[in-house]
Amino acid sequence: MSAGAERATAALLDARIDSFRFGGHAGETLRGIRLVVAPGTLTAIVGASGSGKTTLARVLAGMLPPPSPGGAPVAGADDDPDDDVLEAVLELCGRRVAFAPGHRVRIDPAGWAGRVGLLPQEARHFLSGARETVAEEIAFALENQGVPRPRMRERVRAVAVDLGLEGLLDRDVERLSGGQERLVALAALAVVDPAVLVLDEPLAGLDAEARGRVVAWAADRCARGRSVVHLTRREDEMTVRADDVRILAGGGLARSSPARAAEPCPPAAGGVVPSAATGASASHRPSTGGSARGLLALSGASLGYGDPGRARRVLRRPRRTGQPVLTGVDLTLHAGETVALLGPNGVGKTTLLKTAAGLLEPLAGTVRRTGRIGLLLQDSGDQLFERTVRREVGFGVDAPRAVSHVLDGLGLSDVAAEHPYELPGSVRRLVALATVLVKDPDVLLCDEPTVALDDAGLDLLRGVLAQRAGTGGAVLFSTHDEDFAAAAADRVIRLPGPGGRDPHDAAAA
Amino acid sequence: MHPFTVLAVAALVVTSTTALAAWPVSLSVVLVCLGVAATRGRLAAVAAASTAILVPVWCSQLMIHALFDRAGTHVLLEAGWLRLTSEGLTVAAQLGLRLAVLVVVGATVAVAVDRHRLVAAIDLAPVPPQAGYLLAATLALVPRLQRRRRAIADAQALRLLDAAPEARRAGPLRRAWRAVRLQAVPLVLSSVQDAAERAPHLAARGFPSTADRRTRLRDVPDSRLQRLVRRAAAVGAVVVPALILIGGAG
Repeated sequence: MSAGAERATAALLDARIDSFRFGGHAGETLRGIRLVVAPGTLTAIVGASGSGKTTLARVLAGMLPPPSPGGAPVAGADDDPDDDVLEAVLELCGRRVAFAPGHRVRIDPAGWAGRVGLLPQEARHFLSGARETVAEEIAFALENQGVPRPRMRERVRAVAVDLGLEGLLDRDVERLSGGQERLVALAALAVVDPAVLVLDEPLAGLDAEARGRVVAWAADRCARGRSVVHLTRREDEMTVRADDVRILAGGGLARSSPARAAEPCPPAAGGVVPSAATGASASHRPSTGGSARGLLALSGASLGYGDPGRARRVLRRPRRTGQPVLTGVDLTLHAGETVALLGPNGVGKTTLLKTAAGLLEPLAGTVRRTGRIGLLLQDSGDQLFERTVRREVGFGVDAPRAVSHVLDGLGLSDVAAEHPYELPGSVRRLVALATVLVKDPDVLLCDEPTVALDDAGLDLLRGVLAQRAGTGGAVLFSTHDEDFAAAAADRVIRLPGPGGRDPHDAAAA
Repeated sequence: MHPFTVLAVAALVVTSTTALAAWPVSLSVVLVCLGVAATRGRLAAVAAASTAILVPVWCSQLMIHALFDRAGTHVLLEAGWLRLTSEGLTVAAQLGLRLAVLVVVGATVAVAVDRHRLVAAIDLAPVPPQAGYLLAATLALVPRLQRRRRAIADAQALRLLDAAPEARRAGPLRRAWRAVRLQAVPLVLSSVQDAAERAPHLAARGFPSTADRRTRLRDVPDSRLQRLVRRAAAVGAVVVPALILIGGAG
C-alpha cells in the first residue's frame, strides 16, 4: 500500500471534487481537487481573491450545494437546472458521501458540522443573533445538543481560556469589535470540537496578539489529533506551520513548496516616539509632508460613543454623549503624508476615524478639517446599496468620466455591471473604496482597508494611497497588517491597549 | 421572579379587572403598574409607550361611543351629526379604562421581564425549539435594524448624498422620499442577505434542536412556590372572570 493510500485510509477528511458549478453559471468554480486531511495536520490553502476558497470551504462543510433538510445522508432523485452542481465524493471520518448531477444529497447539517466545522469569512454570520452574552453565544451549539449546564460552563470556559476570551464572556455580543466577533465565532465553533476545522481567513482583522493566540490554539488542536484546514489569501503565521500548503488557482489545487518562514511582523521602521498626551507611540519615516499644511487636526480630543440607543450620526446634528474610548488625542495630518493607525482589537481605531470623518463629535477637545473627507468603512456592506457597481460608484456623481476613471484605476471595469453583493469580498472592498475615491477627497480615511484584499488588491491599495498623498492629499488608515503599514505609511501611530475599547460599533476596529 | 410567573399574574390581573369593569379597580391597577415601573426606573418608558398606544385608542372609543351617540338621553352637546351624551361618554370611559389596564399592564411586563430570561425560559419549556429563537429574533429585530440603519445613514452621509445634484434639484417632499428610499432599500436587502447567510450556520450549530432535552447556559431560577403561584394564576385568569360574569348575570 502506498503512503498516500495509507494516509487516505486514516484520513479525517478525504475530498475528491471532480467539479463544482454554481447554478446558472457555465464555468466550473472548482475542478479536479483532491484533498486528504490526516489526523493532527494543519493544511493551508492559499488562493487569490475569487479563486474559489470560500466555495471550497463551503463544499467541505456540507453547505454547498445547499443541503435538503433531513437525517443521515441519503441520495434522492432531484434535478433543477438552477441548482448548484457538485460531482464529488467526500469521506468524513469513515463515512462516504457521494454527490452527482441530478442527485440531491440530504444532509444533517449538525451531524456534518460535528465532523467538519466551518468558520466563515464573515465571522458575524456564524453568530446566532439570539444570545445576549458571549458565553451564551459560545454555548449555543451545546445548548442545542442538550449538554448539561455544568459541562457547558466547563467547555465554554476552556475554549475561552484557549482563545483569550475570558474577559469577554459576560460582554454583550452586539457590542463586540470586528476582531472580537471573529474570536467569539471561532470559540463557538471550537466548543463542539469537530474532527476537522475549516477556517476561512481566521486571522483577518485580528491584532498581533490575537493572531498569535489563534495560531497557537490551532497548533495545539493538531497536537491533540484534530485537524485544521486554513484558507487564506496570503501566506501568514499559520501557513508557515502547515504540514501541507496548497495553492488554489483556476479552480484547482496545486501543491506548494513549504511556505517560507513568515517572521513575526516587525514594527514599522523608525524611532518610536511616545506621545505624552495619548500614550500612543508614533514611528516615523521620511515624510513628504513635514512642512505641508495640516488637513486634519485633532487637539486634546476625547473620543467615544454615548449610549448606543442615543448615538446618532453627527455630520449634521452632532451630539456629545458617553464615556471616552480615547482621551487626550493630538494628531495632525499634513498634506502629502500617509499615516497608519495601529492598535489592538477594540482599542478605538474606528472611533478615531469616525470622529475624524465627522460621523462622531469629540466628547472633548477639537477637530479641525480642511478640504473634503472620505472614509472607507470597515464593513463594505455598510457602504454599498445600489444594483450595479457602476451605479454604486456613480451615485450622486455628475461626472461619468470620473466614475470610469476610478473603475479603471481599481480594475473594476469588468465587473461594472455586476451586483456588488455578488462579488467576492476583496472586490467588494475595492468597490467600496471606489465610492470614496470618486468624490476625490483631500483626506482619505480607511478603516482596515487591507482586510479581504489579496496581494494584487494590496498592490492596488498601496498605489491608491501613494497617489492620494502624492497629489497633495493625506491618508490615515487603520490596520493590523504591520508589513503593509511599514510599506505604505510615512508615519505609524500606535494606540495603546487594552485599556480602551470601542463599546458601540459592532464593526469596530 | 420567573418570567412565566410575571406573565401569569399579569394575565390574571387583566382578565379579572376587565370582567369586574369597576373603574376604581381599573384605576388602582394602572397606578400600581406605574408604581412598579417607577421602582424600576422605567416610569417614563411605560408612560410614553402606554400613551402612544392609548391616545388613538381612546379617540376611537370616543368617536364610536360618545360623539355620535343616538341612544343616550342626557345630551351634553348636539350640532348636526355630532351628539354627545353622558351615557356615551360613560361607556367610552369604561371601555377606555379597561383597555388602559391591558396596555399599561402589558407595558409594565415588557419592562419588568428581561427578554433574554424570557427567551431562556421558553427554550427550557416543553414548546417547539423554534419558539424561543423566534421570540429572541423578533425582540432583537428592532434594535438590530436601528443599528443597521444608522450604519447605512453614516455611509450615505459620508458620500454627501444631500449635496448630490439630484438631491439639490428635488423639492422637500421628494428629498424626504429619496432619503427613505435610499435607506430602506439597502436596509431590506442587507437584512435579507444577513438572514440567508446566517441560516446554514444556525443549522450547522444544531438549530432547531432535535435533542430529547434542550438546555440553556443561562439559569432561570424557579421555585416550587412560584410554580404554584403560576398554576393558580393561570387557572384564575380563566375561572375568576367566569365567576364574576356568572355572578353579575345572576
